[in-house]
Amino acid sequence: MNSRDKRPNFFVREIPFIVLLVFWVIYAGIEIIRDRLDLLTSVIPTGLFIIAYVLVRLTSKEGKDGG
Amino acid sequence: MDTFLALELIALALTALLIWHSARTRGAAFTWMFFMGGAFLGLVRENVVAQVAALNLYSYNPATFHLWVGAAPLILMVFWSYTIYLALTFSEVIAGGNLIGGKRRLWVILLSMVFMACYDFLNEAFASIYPMVLWKFKPALTVWGGTPAMVLWGYAGMALIFLLTLLLVYRLRMRTAYRVMIFCASVIVMIPLHLLWIAIFRLATSAIG
Repeated sequence: MNSRDKRPNFFVREIPFIVLLVFWVIYAGIEIIRDRLDLLTSVIPTGLFIIAYVLVRLTSKEGKDGG
Repeated sequence: MDTFLALELIALALTALLIWHSARTRGAAFTWMFFMGGAFLGLVRENVVAQVAALNLYSYNPATFHLWVGAAPLILMVFWSYTIYLALTFSEVIAGGNLIGGKRRLWVILLSMVFMACYDFLNEAFASIYPMVLWKFKPALTVWGGTPAMVLWGYAGMALIFLLTLLLVYRLRMRTAYRVMIFCASVIVMIPLHLLWIAIFRLATSAIG
């Protein structure tokens, strides 16, 4: 059985979400420190994708199963 | 340690996580093609853009980046891969589709283009702080926060060109090693296509400036 035959655990499945969240927090965090944060540019566009992703995960059957 | 060097190393580590995710969920062939092709694309494209004066676009700030490959920062060898990989994965989940499988493929690609444009807002705002990029021209059209509209268009176009080329090469009936090599070699087609994509927008908006 190769690694793809086994269902990845929650952490592996959500790696892209974790990675985007880390980038998002670092970028916005540094902008806050430098007093350069622009909500319309740095937070909202990517934030909408993050919200949409979470909503789909929470509402889809796969999401409820953790898939 | 310099803050920016730490960021470069964090970005490399996060890309390693995405490669792991791809290998576990999409398989070895897809992963080799995607990330090797992305590395080649970043290496060649960014060196061409930074060194060919006739393109009149931008160069990278030597005072900001620490790790280099030629005239391009090393991080650019993973930048296009990880941004397009995030765009693809988020779009597949949100649209409930699958690029390779064909389910809602059009929506996955369109949403990936939108994601790339959205990510660019974040990236360009951050890039302007250091600054990472030294522009050689004054953008004719800017959007929120002074982000050049041409760059949003460019990010979206890169997702379109990269994903369509990947799909085309992935479906070839040959060994993985050959498909990886063909996809890497296809950067010589992807780069001119992308520069043409940008040139069209720049020409169309030049009257505004």
